[in-house]
Amino acid sequence: MEGQKSRAKLIASGLVPFSFLILMLVFILSSGSSLINFGIPLPELTIEKINFVKSEILVTVRNTGPVPVDVAVADVNDRIQPAAIEPDKHLERFETAVVKIPFSWNKGEPYKIGLTTQEGVRFEKSIEAAAPALEPNSDTMGLLLLIGTYVGVIPILIGLMWLPFIKKISNQKYVFFLALTVGLLLFLGIDAIVEALEVSSENLAGVFHGPLLIATVVLISLFGLYYAGEKLTKKSSLTKLANPYSVALMVSIGIGLHNLGEGLAIGAAIGLGQVALSTFLIIGFALHNTTEGIAIAAPVAKEKTFVRKIIGLGLIAGVPAIFGTWVGGFAYSPFTSIVFLSIGAGAIFQVVVVISKWLREYDKSFTSTPVVAGIAIGMLIMYLTGMLV
Amino acid sequence: MLFVLAVTAILTTFYFAYPNSSNAKSEEKTFLSHNGAVLTTTGDILDPVYSAQTLKFDPDKYLREFNYGRVSKLPDGTTLREFTIIAEDDKLMEISPGVFYNVWTFNGTVPGPTIRATEGDLVRIHFINNGTRSHTMHFHGIHAAEMDGVFEPVGAKGGQFTYEWIAGPVGVHPYHCHVMPLEEHIIHGLYGVYIVDPKEGRPPADEMVMVLNGFDTDFDAENNFYAVNTIPFYYQHHPIQIDTNQLIRVYVVNMVEFDPINNFHLHGNLYHYYPTGTSTVPSTYTDMITLSQTERGIMEFNYTYPGKYLFHAHKVEFSEKGWTGLFLVKDKEKKS
Repeated sequence: MEGQKSRAKLIASGLVPFSFLILMLVFILSSGSSLINFGIPLPELTIEKINFVKSEILVTVRNTGPVPVDVAVADVNDRIQPAAIEPDKHLERFETAVVKIPFSWNKGEPYKIGLTTQEGVRFEKSIEAAAPALEPNSDTMGLLLLIGTYVGVIPILIGLMWLPFIKKISNQKYVFFLALTVGLLLFLGIDAIVEALEVSSENLAGVFHGPLLIATVVLISLFGLYYAGEKLTKKSSLTKLANPYSVALMVSIGIGLHNLGEGLAIGAAIGLGQVALSTFLIIGFALHNTTEGIAIAAPVAKEKTFVRKIIGLGLIAGVPAIFGTWVGGFAYSPFTSIVFLSIGAGAIFQVVVVISKWLREYDKSFTSTPVVAGIAIGMLIMYLTGMLV
Repeated sequence: MLFVLAVTAILTTFYFAYPNSSNAKSEEKTFLSHNGAVLTTTGDILDPVYSAQTLKFDPDKYLREFNYGRVSKLPDGTTLREFTIIAEDDKLMEISPGVFYNVWTFNGTVPGPTIRATEGDLVRIHFINNGTRSHTMHFHGIHAAEMDGVFEPVGAKGGQFTYEWIAGPVGVHPYHCHVMPLEEHIIHGLYGVYIVDPKEGRPPADEMVMVLNGFDTDFDAENNFYAVNTIPFYYQHHPIQIDTNQLIRVYVVNMVEFDPINNFHLHGNLYHYYPTGTSTVPSTYTDMITLSQTERGIMEFNYTYPGKYLFHAHKVEFSEKGWTGLFLVKDKEKKS
């Protein structure tokens, strides 16, 4: 009886602030219209994607402002063009529509696409060079699969071939390789965040608050995976150190998410017709990703080698690159790229935390030569191979 | 709990990434656009095609509407023409399909009414300002300094002023508000055409007024729309019907701001051009003239062959933003 009463009190005390919050909102929305109508809400449209198909330009637009918007006019290079808009021209907040402009565009030429709202405000997006959009068929799917394999799968498997070498070296040198892994991963995590920020500033509407979205997703991913990882290792191992294979699995998952993000970038570059750029991307990523193989190999080097498990780990890390190129090439969305890149960054930082715990077993203060040199050299390797991208 | 949160987060992500996959309409319709492109869509059409019903301003009516005022004779035999002009600045007008712009108007339209008098008439304008800020009327032409509409701002909400002068010189002139900031008052639509006929008159003709204007709807000091008589592409869809071997006289006034020049190109024909209309002798016979701000003149031509003829700015940017139209020339002999 007594317990029930106090429980009810507890729930009530939790609900009271909520009810006041609701009361305040009701008050503002009903009577405080002068407060709501203060200032002038500015309409805003964001052009998220422009696809060049056969004698037609497809423009994906989103209402990213505080008020509903009616699209009234479409233009190409600031010249009014008749167009169709689907599903309709009225866009509620966050709603998107596709504007179809019949236009015989020229390959390789820059274009500016503009949309004007009923208030007469024009929003514009530039395309550096028009190129036909990738159509999802077996040819292009196959091409992207091949690229994803070259970028993600093969380099990682090559990197894993260092495993026998790492196995045979002394403990001190092994610490160096673990530290090297930390360096590589730190770089990759920072790289993913930088890339997400880039996508956000170029293609994401201000209403999504790109940098905060990235921070939120990175931290949720980091703590979420850390939490999951702790549960996983506690179950699988009785030693106070985490099970090397589960750590390697976490490394693989983190790198896999990261490669998904990279695949998205490559697919999008091909989809947007930036072909020269994507050739460089592919070569750069291939070299770059070989080092990711080392990062997976290092945690399990002192364990018994299960070849199948090792290959499995490599595939977990590499195959997402293929899916990334497909999604990026056929259905690019800046929002999803940012989310994937951020999840990848969080996952990588989580692995950094776990491996750092290992390193502390060898070197409490992170001041020994192999640890410091490993981290520094890892980051340097990444920076130098990253210049190829 | 964690699972629910995760599912919600993922669903939200997909909603933001691909939100409109579910509410597409299924019915397809086909549409022929103003430049001949064929559009097939289940959605809405974005094309500056005006149907007559939705128009608040009728360019067809404006084209051939001349206001001669309330006419009376003074004791000395002079013709007095009185006009009442009311300025407003709170109207929202659909200046292109689906695009609404705050226009400032003389007698409710952009351009204001075409005021027409004969040289030597006494013109009297009763000007009432019902707007929310000061406005005036400044006529190009010859008049006394205090009738110039520059140093005599007429107050908001009912301010009045009477402008009076002897009509002259012969020609076609603009009038506009001359309150500072001048550009703001002009681009919002406070302008119109004032024609002074010679005493002996001009040869009979099918006469029309064309004001070349533009609208900067996003206030970035560049026009978003151009037009002849305000509505972009209007005469493209509603060709101006004229007869073969009929003298056509067009009073052209360029009121485009921001762009230093405008021009007028006629297809399948050439015209005699009378700059400012002040001389009875044409200055040139051409199909292309260039006009700076408030530069104006009279064009005279007639078509021998029936058919559709384009007229447009040969500054093609302007024509692709609305300053283009058609003459539909009908065979007069066949018709009767």
